[in-house]
Amino acid sequence: MTATLPLSRFGDRVGAAVGDLRAAGPTTLQVNVGKRCNQACRHCHVDASPTRTEVMPDDVLEACLDALARTPELDTLDVTGGAPELHPRFRELVSRARALGRKVMVRHNLTVQHEPGQGDLPAFFAAHGVEVVCSLPHYTEEATDRQRGRGVFAGSIAALRALNAVGYARDPALVLNLVSNPVGAFLPPAQADLERDTRAWLRARHGVEFNALFTITNMPIARFADWLRRAGTYDAYMARLEAAFNPATVPGLMCRSLVSVGYDGRLYDCDFNQMLELGLEEGRPSHIRDFDRARLAERRVSTGEHCFGCTAGAGSSCGGALA
Amino acid sequence: MPAYFDDQDLAHFGDLKQHAPELWAAFERYYAAAFEPGLLSKREKVLIGFAVAQVSQCPYCIDSYTQQALEQGLTMKHLAEALHAAASLRAGIALAHGLVAHNVDRKISM
Repeated sequence: MTATLPLSRFGDRVGAAVGDLRAAGPTTLQVNVGKRCNQACRHCHVDASPTRTEVMPDDVLEACLDALARTPELDTLDVTGGAPELHPRFRELVSRARALGRKVMVRHNLTVQHEPGQGDLPAFFAAHGVEVVCSLPHYTEEATDRQRGRGVFAGSIAALRALNAVGYARDPALVLNLVSNPVGAFLPPAQADLERDTRAWLRARHGVEFNALFTITNMPIARFADWLRRAGTYDAYMARLEAAFNPATVPGLMCRSLVSVGYDGRLYDCDFNQMLELGLEEGRPSHIRDFDRARLAERRVSTGEHCFGCTAGAGSSCGGALA
Repeated sequence: MPAYFDDQDLAHFGDLKQHAPELWAAFERYYAAAFEPGLLSKREKVLIGFAVAQVSQCPYCIDSYTQQALEQGLTMKHLAEALHAAASLRAGIALAHGLVAHNVDRKISM
């Protein structure tokens, strides 16, 4: 679906603060290789789970690599899912992108290491210099398991130790970052404070090291929106996000520097728009096989009320807080 | 009036301003200044607010400070520890007041 841009309260707020929300030429290609995941987290904006069957087909995967090869300005490949490691050609995608000289980041849920045939993922990541961005909503077992499922915290700690054991967060070339999102309908804490507390707790209690921690706001779409509605807190959460609108977050919004590729090859301004099937501005390339960086530059970003999730408080992006 | 306490009330807290605007403005300045991070962090001040709300049994404050504490990265496990610290102090205070009875008894009993 190609979006006709909806007028929205978000558009009004951004317009009043900084004018049109437009993207620069993308420097990151974020590729969602499929919705299959070994977990089924309550906040997941992808509705990912073990029962999902959407998988990026071969021709789309090749088109992603082709876009990288002919676009040197795309310096980063950001691989996400689902659990992207479950894609049958995941390792080939990573190794070929690295061979092209690109930085590769993988959104890693940690427990996928315990799936059949995935035990050597830490060694694979290390051998290819992959930056791993690991999901850990909270440093306490109780909070993490409440969101991600019973036993996930213990499995995540074991997986973090395995990453540390191959050099992650110890060798300067092997970067291990954590991502924390609130376990409920509230904004994340100050990123620096949570990073400090998480580092102290994980080091003392579990002997785990990491480089940085990113806070991310839960997006009011898909499974998390369903949960909000069932809990009767959707309206209050949306009001909280909107009341916390912070124009200082706008310059760093991830939609301004990346293009998101769906498993079927369609292009979006971000992973959230992808889940809402809110496509790029009309007249722009809509599929990865037509990728043309110059034609994507200065595009007007497609927005909706969910965008308040990225501009609330200190802001939220795949790289954490923005302001 | 369906109930004395309603979770929508807090949004109208500022309606009280109309009755004494200058005093209200002074209160707002004082309250904001008291919760600015200083030698104590914002999170420590929010936890103090949470504990005071609990022992003062103010539903508005408990609602507000629970949400603020969660947004400071604390969980219900943290808040339970704060709650017990506050509640045990209240228990101790009740017991300490027993000294008054103890002293009265010493004074007037044979």
